Amino acid sequence: MKGRFYRLTRDLHLYLGLFISPFVLVFSVSVFFFVHSWTPKLAPATARTRVVSSLNLPSDLAKLSGRPLVDALKPILESMNVPGEIGFVQHRVKEETLSIPVSIPGRVTSVSIDLARHEATIVTRETGLADALMTLHKSPGGHGPDIRMNWFVMKAWRWFADATVYLTLFISVSGIYLWYVLRAERRIGFILLFAGILTFFGIAYAVSH
Amino acid sequence: MPSATEPVVTAGSKTPTRSWAGFERWNRKLHFYTGLFLIFFLWLFAFTGLILNHPTWTFHEHWKNRKETNYERAIAAPGADAVNDLDQARDIMRQLEIEGDILWTTTRTDSSLLDFQVRRPGHFYFIKANWAKGNATVRQAEVNLWGIMKVLHVFDGQVADDPRNSRDWALTYLWAYSMDAVAAGLIFMVLSSVFMWLQLPQKRWTGAIVLSLGCLSCGLFCWGLRWIF
Repeated sequence: MKGRFYRLTRDLHLYLGLFISPFVLVFSVSVFFFVHSWTPKLAPATARTRVVSSLNLPSDLAKLSGRPLVDALKPILESMNVPGEIGFVQHRVKEETLSIPVSIPGRVTSVSIDLARHEATIVTRETGLADALMTLHKSPGGHGPDIRMNWFVMKAWRWFADATVYLTLFISVSGIYLWYVLRAERRIGFILLFAGILTFFGIAYAVSH
Repeated sequence: MPSATEPVVTAGSKTPTRSWAGFERWNRKLHFYTGLFLIFFLWLFAFTGLILNHPTWTFHEHWKNRKETNYERAIAAPGADAVNDLDQARDIMRQLEIEGDILWTTTRTDSSLLDFQVRRPGHFYFIKANWAKGNATVRQAEVNLWGIMKVLHVFDGQVADDPRNSRDWALTYLWAYSMDAVAAGLIFMVLSSVFMWLQLPQKRWTGAIVLSLGCLSCGLFCWGLRWIF
């Protein structure tokens, strides 16, 4: 029974670890980009601009805000072939324009809708892989929960991001078990575990007190 | 008890050289040594990543539950050697006995006024210094343990695309480099685990299938979306 449990834990540790390893790499590699405010560009960022006119806009569009505004913008953006996650929309009352950022990991599209002329100017920028990793790392994030996850793909990303956390927790706990059954490694393991605990709480205490 | 990652030498396969066997053994040892050392860092970043992704979960609310205090202190004008905003802010912080990373949020309009924020996990200071009047008003906010943990997840002293807001506190450097170390440790653990899996012939096919599934699903988000849409 003990042997079966060990083998099952060992196999789950291996296979679940292999499954989440690309996700762990996404979160780990992007840490360097955040910490050092550095976004390597493998290829030059490209931008293209196009104008779409004769837009069919709802009459109350300018009065909407928050999630109702995002929901109203979705079919308009779809008709202009601008897929992606809609960010914080700015309404410039004087200019009668709506500025809408739409993002796909690695691509940022800025849509400016002229409410009076029923016309949209669309600027699409390809921002590259590093930017895609950073976008994924911070998605959905803590800001604007009422409007976030308005694109089904990013909803799916949230499930994967959550799954990465749950599986990481499982893998770390199962890793402790797998280490503990190796008697020859217990002593050095305990030393490293306590060294890690001391380092973690030492630094966390120093920065927060 | 045999380890999951002990190499299996099958009949007819080549006997590994001594140095190769040493490399395999140390790869395996370093895999769990790194994991054990980093486990609390890993739990912090994993758990706070989860709660940051779920701002509607109310149990970890910290800002609404903050404790605020307001006070005013007399200050002396910064010395002649404090020639720029950062030096002057540090001088004022020294006088107020406040430590942390400086966050610039306003553009300066008057040379005798200086508005800035100081942050460190759990503590937020909003400082308005006026050395023409010889005083500084401080709004201090303290947040709960959830707030400390969430700030630790993102505490690197940098604001994207704003070179003015860069790290300026020694402990911010320490924590930021700890984040680097955790990230580097995780990358090592992933690579070492792939190596250990490749040493297990009987697990290769199943492993290849789950690794491919992981790569496909992750690659879809990193590259595929731009290709599809």
